[in-house]
Parts: sequence; structure tokens; C-alpha cells
Amino acid sequence: MKTRELLLASILAGAVSACGGGGSDNNNNNNNNNNDPAPAPVVPQTDVISLSAVSKLLDTNADIALAAYNDSIDTAKQLKAAIAEFTDNTTQANLDAAKLAWLVAREPYGQTEVYRFRLSPIDSSNYNDEDGLEGDINAWPLGEALIDYVEKAEPDFGVDQVGVTENGAGINGGGVVDGEDVANNIIGDVTITIDADLVANTATAGDEHDVIAGYHAIEFILWGQDLNLDAMVTNGADRDLAVKTSGAGNLAFGGQRPLSDFSSSPLGSRRLLFMTVVVDKLIADLEVVRDGWLDGIAGNYRDQFTSVSDRADAVQKLTEILTGMGTLSEGELAGERMQISYSANSQEDEHSCFSDNTHRDVWLNAEGISNSFEGVYAGYDSDLDGIDDAGSAVDGFGFDDYIAEVNVDSLTAIGTSLSALLAETEANYKSLDTTARNGRPVDVLIMEANRNTENPVYLTIISLNAQSAAIAELAEALDIADQVVDDDASGCDTSNPAAECEG
Amino acid sequence: MLIVAACSRDIPVPDRADSEAYPGGRASVSYLPFASFELPAANIPHEQRPYFHAGKALANQPWIKAPSATDARDGLGPLYNARTCLGCHSNGGRGPLPGSAAEPVFSAIVRVSLPGKNDRLGVVPDASYGDQIQGQSIALTHQLRGKVAPTKPADNPEAPPESRVFIDWLKRTYTYPDGESRVLRYPRIRFEELGYGPLPSNLLTSLRMAPAIHGLGLLEAIDQSVLDNLSDPQDSNGDGISGRVNRVWDFEREAPAAGRFGWKANRANLRIVSASAFQGDVGISNPIFNTQPCTGLQHKCQHASTGNNSDGVELPEDLLALTVGFVRGIGVPLQRKLTRRALEGRALFHRTGCASCHHPGYVTASQPGESAYLGDQEIWPYTDLLLHDMGEGLDDGRPDYLASGSEWRTPPLWGVGLSKNVNGVTNLLHDGRARNIEEAILWHGGEAVRAREHFAQLIASRRDALIAFVESL
Repeated sequence: MKTRELLLASILAGAVSACGGGGSDNNNNNNNNNNDPAPAPVVPQTDVISLSAVSKLLDTNADIALAAYNDSIDTAKQLKAAIAEFTDNTTQANLDAAKLAWLVAREPYGQTEVYRFRLSPIDSSNYNDEDGLEGDINAWPLGEALIDYVEKAEPDFGVDQVGVTENGAGINGGGVVDGEDVANNIIGDVTITIDADLVANTATAGDEHDVIAGYHAIEFILWGQDLNLDAMVTNGADRDLAVKTSGAGNLAFGGQRPLSDFSSSPLGSRRLLFMTVVVDKLIADLEVVRDGWLDGIAGNYRDQFTSVSDRADAVQKLTEILTGMGTLSEGELAGERMQISYSANSQEDEHSCFSDNTHRDVWLNAEGISNSFEGVYAGYDSDLDGIDDAGSAVDGFGFDDYIAEVNVDSLTAIGTSLSALLAETEANYKSLDTTARNGRPVDVLIMEANRNTENPVYLTIISLNAQSAAIAELAEALDIADQVVDDDASGCDTSNPAAECEG
Repeated sequence: MLIVAACSRDIPVPDRADSEAYPGGRASVSYLPFASFELPAANIPHEQRPYFHAGKALANQPWIKAPSATDARDGLGPLYNARTCLGCHSNGGRGPLPGSAAEPVFSAIVRVSLPGKNDRLGVVPDASYGDQIQGQSIALTHQLRGKVAPTKPADNPEAPPESRVFIDWLKRTYTYPDGESRVLRYPRIRFEELGYGPLPSNLLTSLRMAPAIHGLGLLEAIDQSVLDNLSDPQDSNGDGISGRVNRVWDFEREAPAAGRFGWKANRANLRIVSASAFQGDVGISNPIFNTQPCTGLQHKCQHASTGNNSDGVELPEDLLALTVGFVRGIGVPLQRKLTRRALEGRALFHRTGCASCHHPGYVTASQPGESAYLGDQEIWPYTDLLLHDMGEGLDDGRPDYLASGSEWRTPPLWGVGLSKNVNGVTNLLHDGRARNIEEAILWHGGEAVRAREHFAQLIASRRDALIAFVESL
């Protein structure tokens, strides 16, 4: 049996014995601090699970997902329009406009990543298998050498392989860097047809991760590699010598792919076509994910996720949300995206290494976690000034509201502490963002010379880990399923959704 | 065989310890809401957790073709089996195998070698193909396969993959004493599109499923003397079971060592396991195995771009240490609550003799430094980590160090019942031929034949009870 079926079996079994998991509207005001020396009356401890409150929380959680994925689709369509305009009029102004559109497109998407790690539509087509489109949408690290020419880091190569390409503005004093090995990639090999089939089939060629599709593929084409001013690859200690113009925003950061790569290069039309194909797939993939969150569609993910049958189911659903929040906080963002690049000075492990937009990735992922806690989505930042000013905002029922409503001391304490930790993370990622905008983006901050305990990358990692510990505490406080399982009531192991029931 | 009773009454059944519910001791982890074999042990110190996840990134995020923007994450191949560790060890669990003869193998590997002895490598590699078939390469014609015209290996400017591998599943029937029967399957490997010429006729081959990777740090923390004491190479106690320790090579100390990891216990420790998998499976050179996975006859492979750092390897020591820290730190899921039937199965597990090799419990030795949390834990892995002759049915004919073709290391059983929830894979045994626990038991031969016969002679409901116990682990 599949996980979901087993889960349902377990839920049904749980219903036999689950006792009074119902009301949120019951008396929440048990006096726990009774100083009266007389024997306290035996008052049942107020349950931390309130089905009606869980229901509200799940609805808001789904509303935010729907809004953020819808905004992701809208901004991806704006990116598509910008690429189309750039294709029609291949000017520097339109290249810049396409880059801006890419940066804006990341603003809502980054806030959706809290929906990962819980078998929601981004990771699973059926709430069971890990077959979702995340790898196609957000493929990273990118296999850029498969896509287009790349400059080669010196230790990487033998003498028989010299650097590449026609590079220009901004780096190498505007001069050209010639290369020999331009042909052996998708852009350079003109016998390869660039179409939807190429991207779709390569992205699903039985390999475990996808490396040529999604946001970062477009990022690579728009920005190119983030090289130093001399058009050479950073040696890990000189990234601050690359183009990092203070106050100029991301257009002046990161890779400096010249307009000529699109205009005068014989391969220019292939680069434009590749972006067009990838953005079409990106939009289509985002729509599939979004559709899982549409309201009123019988049997889709949202329908299953927001229907709470009983107390055990409620605990399971809450734990799923908290698993996403906790895993993104500690494992994915603090660990796989930040700690590895910070501790190894690894620019490639930067999430948006071509555009130097990693400070926004950090902000937006962390903001998504707060969104889930607070039940609020403020939309996205359409003009990149750090303020959410567009999109479909949601203000609903979050964990903070839930904790206030059930009003159990243990939960309240954890909620207060988690709020404070989320605020601390917010202060740290905002400091990281400010530092980056002032000309010291993440790839500079992770350089060995800059690694110290004042570094906002370091501080954000620390606070993300602290908040994940509090998220785990909250999950533990909510998950008291064992107390309501009557072992002898059935042949089912009700503490385990995975176990088969014995008849 | 003189067995009459279905069970040996003389094998005592130990009382169940409360700690058995926590197979990984304080390193045990929950299986809710999603079962996983890649979660950090519950007792990893808070300040070490970021390093666990950083190490996971190296096992989880795709390695890519060199060159790329910097040198930290490139160097895939030139020949490889998978871009990432967790691509095959999916969610930390066992890798799937194709069920149909038309679908190529992806998550398993085929080990190859020639007859003969080599004390350092354990096997004699083939001159063209080495000791492992890598089914993928960074060649554009392979990366975009199906989208670009295939090139003859000789005309390909880049190194082609070594071969595509397919499995033909053959059938064999096992009949219980009570007349019930089961159709078992076993693999025959088929190579297609060989990239480096025909295979020698005396080539030894062995299909290997990707094993689960949880709890390995705890297994590493068992003192070798404990395992030595469990071994009985001459069967001096006459129980028909003669587990022995493989003698393998420690590539760091450049000296012989006891083998503990791998299907034939051919690796001494987790640093060597991880480093050899990086080199052989992903094509990532590292301080222990510092060359590309190319044989002397694979010239295009040898001349491909590497992702080497300034210290001459693609994965430097600090990143190897992070990855090994991740592998060591993966927790073991809690045992599921025992039903009455599974409790009965526990007694049968002992009485039938399963526990002779699937040795239930240990206390890990104290560990130094960052691994301290793995030490002094009472753990329940159900393995003696020793080599046993498993009979001709499982004989792959390919020796590895001391291990003969029919000798295999007892695999741990913890988490085995959760596997289908971790990634859907229920296959067992080195080549994944068993599709469930029952089939795996029925393939047991050699030293395990007596235990298998005890199992087979149980009435069906008691066989189910024993399986229910194993499922609970």
C-alpha cells in the first residue's frame, strides 16, 4: 500500500480510539496557577489540538501557497514577455529589463519554498511519491558547462584547454577572450535543436537531478558566469575585485555577459531561443504546482490537505507544515545553501551565483517560514526596493493565531520564543541584504578573509538553526498522539502511519 | 538434515529490553510525518548540525561537468553512475532496480573483475573497464541522449559511457513443506552498447543494489574486538555458522585492516566507503582516491577536463570530512510499536536461529571529538557485520579480498520495514532479487540453511509473525 492509503487506514483506526479531540471552543482558561492549598479539582488538561483551529490554519496555509504560486506564475510570464521583447529588440536596455524581470520573478517564488519537504505539489504529484517538479523549476547547482561556454578556473584545466569566448563589456577592459572549446554544449553545437522536447527530455533523462532547466538556467544565460574584472575565474580570495558596484543593485553585480553574446554572436539567436524555451517550461511547471493548490477541486492536493478527519489527522497535517518550515530553516537554507558555501568558501554553492542575488534567496526563504507561522503573505517586491508592493496578499490564521486560540501555557511559551527567534532571523537576513546591496554580496562575504562572527551570513545561519530547534519543539508539543491511542482497540499500530493493520 | 522440530527450543529468547524500541539509542529519530534514512541523529550536538547539513549538500546536490564557475562543485565523471550520492541512495534508502528487461539499470552498479588475487585492491580489475561499469559519461552525446544523433564510440570526441546495463529476471520456485510455493526471481545481467570493446570471456560480474545509509556511524562505533569475538571461522562451537572478518586494505594507512562495510565487507571504514564511492560512482577524485575513474585504456576519459582544485583533487579533505560526517550522523528510525503478533515473531526470530548472524544488540564504544555522540549507545542493528557462506544460490562467483563468491556480510535489519515508506523500495539482498522479506529469507542458504528450514517449517501464520517482527524494526 502507498503511504497515503496507509495513512488513511491509520487515521480510520485512530478514530476508533481517539478521544474527544474536538473542540477548540472549550474552556481554555483552566487556572493552572492556583495558589489555593485545597486539593485542586481535577480539570482535564485543555487539548493542544483544536480541530476547528487546525482547519483555519490549514486553509490559510493553502491560501498563501496558492497566492505565492500565482504570483510566481504572473512574474514568470512578465519574464517571458521581457525575453520576447529582448528577442525582438536586442538592446542593452532590454537585456537589463529582462534581468530585472528575472529578479522580480524570484521574489514570490522564494517565498514558496517553505512548501517543500512535505510532499506538497512542488515535490510530489500525488502526496506520496517524490516525483515533483522542483528539480525542473529550481535546478541548482546548474550544469552550466552543458548549456553554454564557460571560462575555466585555472586548476580545473590542462594546458590543452584554453579559456573561452567572445566577452566584452565590463570585464577584461572590454577586450575579447577567445576560446577553442565553444562548440561542445547546447548553445554551441548548432546541430542540436533547441526546443521544448530538448529541455523536457533532458530534464527527465533518468538522472537524479536536473541541471539545465528552470530559473537558474535563464539566470546563467542573462548574466553569464560571475567572473573577475580580468575575465578570469575567481581564485576564491578576490571576488571583491569583480564588478560589485555599490548601490547599483543586481544589474551591476554578478556575471557580465555582454550584449554581443545575443546581438552580434552567431549563437545569439540560440541563446534567446533557449531562454524562451526554458521560460515556457518554467511557466507550465509552475502552473502544474499551482493547480495542486486550487480550491474546490475534488481530490487535488489542497482538498486532501485541508480536509481534517480527526485528531490524528490534524496532528499529521500540522506536523507536515512544521516539517517544511523546520527542514527549510535548518537543513536546506542554513545547511545546504548557506553553511556549505560559507564553510567551504564555495561560490558555486551560492544559490544564485550568476546574478549575485543570493541575499534575496535567503531573505525570501526565511520570509516564507515566517509567513507560515504568522499566516500572512504580503505579496512580492515588484521594484526591488525591499518592500512587498504587489501580488495577492493574504492575511489569515497562522500558528501564532492558533496558539492564542487554544491558549495552553506550554504552547504559548514556545510560540513566544519562536516569534522572537523569527524576528532575530529577520534582523539578520535584513542586515545581509543591506550589506549585499551596499556592494558586498554573499560571494564576497563567504571569502575566508571575511569569515567572522559579525558576518551576517554566519549570524543568519545561527539564527535559522535556533528557530528550527523551536519549530521542532512546537511540533513535539503538538504531537501527543500516543496519549490517545488505545493499543488493544485494534490490530493497528496507530502510532505509525506506515504500519499495516492486522485484521 | 536431522531437524524435526520447527524451532530450536534450546535457543533462548531474551526478554525484550525497553531500549529495543530505540534501535539507534539516543541517535534514534522519529519516522513521522515522513519516514527517512537521511535525518540527523537526534543527539547530534546543536552546534554540529549545520555541518551535518553541509555534508548532506555534498551528497545531495548534483555534481556537474567541469568546468564551471568555481571549482567546488564540478568534476562529475568523466565516467560515472550518478550525479549524486542520494540519487541512488534515495532518501538514504536502498536504490530501485528496473523490473522490466527494457529499462536500463540506473541506481545499482555492476562490479566486474578478472579471476586472481590482489591484496591491495581486493580484486583484479579489467584493463578496459576497471572494477565497475559506469553507465554514464559527461559526453554531450550521452547527456542529451535521444536528442542528438548517437556517435560511434570511436568517433565520439568525448569519453562514451562504458555500457548500458539491463537485467533479465529469471524465475525459480520455492516450495514450503506445507505445499505453499513462491516464485522467486534472480537477475541475469545484459550489457549493451559497450563503449570500450568486447568484455573478456572470463570477466566476473556482480550486480549490487545501492544499500541504505542510515546508522552507519553507529556501526562504525562498534569495537572491532566485539566483532572478532562473534566470529568463529572454524565453527568451533559446531553450530554450523562460521562468520569471519574480511581482511581488506586501509588506503589511508596503507595497511591491511578488518573489513566492515559493503556487501562483502570490503571496506574498512566510512571514510574509505565514502571516498571510493565518490571516485567510482560519481567520478569525484578525493584525497584517498585521487585519480579519475578512467582505466589506462580509456584515453578520452583521461584527457577530459577535471574539476581539480589547487590541491589536485575534486573533493578536498575538508569537504570529504563534511560528507563523512553526514553519513556518520544519519539517525536510525524508532522501532514501530510491537503488535502482539510481532512480539510472537520476535521469539520465533530467536528460536529459528536468525539472531545467530543477525546479532541483535551492541553497546558502541566511546568515540572521540565530533563523533562523541555516537559512542556509548545501546543499539539494535541485527547484524554481526561478519562474512557468511550463503550458499550457491547467492554465489556471484566474484571474490573480494577474503570473501568468496558465496560469502556475504550480514546486512543490518534496522529500518528494513520502513523502507517502502522511505522510498518505495522493498528489494533486498545484494542484487535486489528478493522483493520482500519472505523472499530474502528463502534465498538464505549455506550457513543459514538451518535457520531457513526452521522458518520454512513454521505454519504460515507463524512465518507471517516472524516477518511482522522484522517489519517492525
